[in-house]
Amino acid sequence: MRRPAAASAAVALIAAVALLAGCAGSPEATDGPTEPEPGLLRVLAGSELADLAPILDEAAQATGVRVGFDFTGTLDGAETVASGRADTTHDATWFSSNRYLALQPGAPAKLGTATEIVSSPVVLGLRRSVADALGWIGRPVTWSEIAAAAGARQFSYGMTDPSASNTGFSTVVAVATALVGSGAALTVEQAASTAPALKDFFAAQTLAAGSSGFLQDAYVRRATRADPGPPVDGLINYESVLLGLNAEGTLPEPLELIYPADGVITAEYPFTVLASASQQARDDHRKLTEYLRTPAVQQALMDRTFRRPAVPGVALAPVLGTATLVELPFPAQAEVVDTLLTSYFDKIRRPSRTIYVLDTSGSMGQDDRIGDLRRSLAGIAGADPSLTGQYRRFRGREEVTLLPFSSTPGTPQTFVVDENDPGPTRARIADAGNALQADGGTAIYDSLRRAYDIAGEQIATDPDRFTSIVLMTDGENTEGSDVGAFRDYAGSRPADLRTVPVFTVLFGESDNEQMTEVATLTGGRTFDARTAPLAEVFKEIRGYV
Amino acid sequence: MTVGGGRRSGRRVLSGVIALALLAVIAFVVLRDIGGRTDPAPELTAVTGVIGSEKLPFFADQRVKDVFAANGLDVRVDSAGSRQIATTVVLDNYDFAFPSSSPAADRLLAARPTPRTYAPFSSPMAVATFAPIVDLLTRAGVVAPGTQTFDMRRYLELAAASTRWDQLPGNTTFPARKDLLVSTTDVCQSNSAAMYLGFASYVVNGEAVVADPAGVAAVTPAVQPLFRDQGYSPPSTEVLFEDYQSAGMGRVPMALVYEAQYLAEELSSDPTLPADARLLYPSPTVFSRHTLVPLEPVGDRVGELLTTNPELIALTAQYGFRPTDPRPFTEAITARGLPAPPTLVDVVEPPSYDILEGMLAGLGCAP
Repeated sequence: MRRPAAASAAVALIAAVALLAGCAGSPEATDGPTEPEPGLLRVLAGSELADLAPILDEAAQATGVRVGFDFTGTLDGAETVASGRADTTHDATWFSSNRYLALQPGAPAKLGTATEIVSSPVVLGLRRSVADALGWIGRPVTWSEIAAAAGARQFSYGMTDPSASNTGFSTVVAVATALVGSGAALTVEQAASTAPALKDFFAAQTLAAGSSGFLQDAYVRRATRADPGPPVDGLINYESVLLGLNAEGTLPEPLELIYPADGVITAEYPFTVLASASQQARDDHRKLTEYLRTPAVQQALMDRTFRRPAVPGVALAPVLGTATLVELPFPAQAEVVDTLLTSYFDKIRRPSRTIYVLDTSGSMGQDDRIGDLRRSLAGIAGADPSLTGQYRRFRGREEVTLLPFSSTPGTPQTFVVDENDPGPTRARIADAGNALQADGGTAIYDSLRRAYDIAGEQIATDPDRFTSIVLMTDGENTEGSDVGAFRDYAGSRPADLRTVPVFTVLFGESDNEQMTEVATLTGGRTFDARTAPLAEVFKEIRGYV
Repeated sequence: MTVGGGRRSGRRVLSGVIALALLAVIAFVVLRDIGGRTDPAPELTAVTGVIGSEKLPFFADQRVKDVFAANGLDVRVDSAGSRQIATTVVLDNYDFAFPSSSPAADRLLAARPTPRTYAPFSSPMAVATFAPIVDLLTRAGVVAPGTQTFDMRRYLELAAASTRWDQLPGNTTFPARKDLLVSTTDVCQSNSAAMYLGFASYVVNGEAVVADPAGVAAVTPAVQPLFRDQGYSPPSTEVLFEDYQSAGMGRVPMALVYEAQYLAEELSSDPTLPADARLLYPSPTVFSRHTLVPLEPVGDRVGELLTTNPELIALTAQYGFRPTDPRPFTEAITARGLPAPPTLVDVVEPPSYDILEGMLAGLGCAP
């Protein structure tokens, strides 16, 4: 089984040279090296593991095995593994959980040894004063109580999109299991429930995000008044992340962790070697996991990242609490999870209002950019058959406005997606997208102002929605008001528009700096469609709106 | 995937000097690492095996490695579910497979016939739990007072009624709004859950081993909820037992494990069992006979040593397994001053592998 050392060294050297040629500098920091290299595990992972870098550096010193992370979301990762795309590009996966992955057809056969390294439950962190006012400090609180208080808008919270991130996904499963489950894993019928308690719970969500990192940053920016919107009371995330936030000391008020007495869903971080991995990679994986599971390293993982040790015999730090955490059963049938997520998106979550400000200037006629735009809209209108695509379509009850622009803002078209039969509305949105034609100049800021005016009118009619603006442009502003005018406007927006973020798409020759400024001014973020396909970017933004 | 998405555009050609210097450093590091990775005794024959996870701690023990090394072997193992070993694992990568029961080995043998197999030890299936849970189970009539006997018949009655912990009368110690269910591994992948299916179906089948397709069809509706209602379950018994030990009562109030796993902790020099840990024996239960299947001639050497080498046999007993000869097991228990495990009288045979496969298909497991 062992290759002669000289041959191994030669192979290693070639791999190292290839790697060096590919990405100068630090091999660990690439977006996933694709060439195998002895002593380097290419790991498809959840982005929250980035905080392990110092411990993994020490591990590399001790074991000679380095980790090259390639970060991706829960569903995206599951899709990559189940489809076999990870077989040649990665050696291992390290997600917060393999539970969703295990439900994908063919996925279990793709996985080799799975070794749990640490764990962390998904819980609710609330500003201490709010938790105190609700009487939730120092006594057990159930999901029913939390849902009732949420329904009465006694607190607000932020959560990630369940199709993008494990924390949002775990929350949907936990809340449904606790509120409509019977004590066993959810059934398909229960997963389809639209019980008022479920809607109550999700009604209090005022901050959404397609990634855990953005959510955390947005929460802190709101809390410290760096962002225009009002502070949010709470955050649903891993216990480890919430304790980490408290420890950083950047929050004006610490978070009180609420561990629902009727149960939580815990991430158990299985470091999993792929079945397709080489003998060398499997040996490296074994060596590294053995090291990470030694008591001293487990202690360090707990002390430095607030994650719970997986190995018995390492006593829990007092900050991790002493209460018995009941683990809720996680449905083990794909049909149940699919039903639950579909029901959540189309019927249960707080409905969205999304205004797409779309550049149709003459330059969009180049390189079939307008075709790219039409196809990207069609993708999120239902044409994308991928696992993530099916949860990032226009959702039931969503209010979608398309505002094309060139030399002036065009005519807005608004659609409200039918809750019970979303297909026909989605088809009409795709048709409207297909009718877009490239011609004329680029009046970005007049059009953005117009979008805010539309948002204002729509909010006045129907205030209880997540409202966001998506701005896609392929060039610089050539007509109408400039970014300075928008800057002034952004600072003087009426209160109900201050929480409306702009998510900007970098495309073609768009002005990177201005697009970043617009996103920052409004509490949004930029997405880069110059390095990723526009359709993928449109899909990714769906996690934020 | 936006993280690092722009990095490719940041590639730069390094100046020749820097590139050469970096290459030299990398060559040095790589060669040094390769050197470090080479085993200290290169005359050893490397043998690779894929084994049930519960035997991992045994194979990882330096004393076990030393005995193998003294016999010229460097045994390296990966763990996988016993059913995975017989179905999805790429066996060409391995010199032997060591699933955790005779039906699992039979399933493997049907695909990879080999003249000899080795069954060096066995372990009865047991329920690892906690003192407060034992009290609740005793009051609910599942545990006979003062014994370690877990009455499967009474348990199956409670489970059939979807009894929740918070519905047990007078339960103030663990009022969880969760069904009273024994936690198992994924029955589609792992042997321990398949053994549990074996003795649960025995009870449902009117105290008889399920032996034909009609029996399979008859028991399926009653045994299905035992697994389905748990939801997601871990792929391996080692993970389940670890969850039981580290996450405690809230996550895993009752874990279906091998007796050996629990005893190994009690016998270890540094036990990590929770203070209020308790072990119960289902009645009826099954003895799981761990069976080594050689895939290459060198795999036979491992099987022979495990069956005949007195040091290895003593070490298997240290890990709580029951070798064919009962004496090393008794010696290990008494030497440590532990009470002798109860005599198990209600022991049944697991169903044959094809019947077991039929039941798993009924539970929705892919072939």
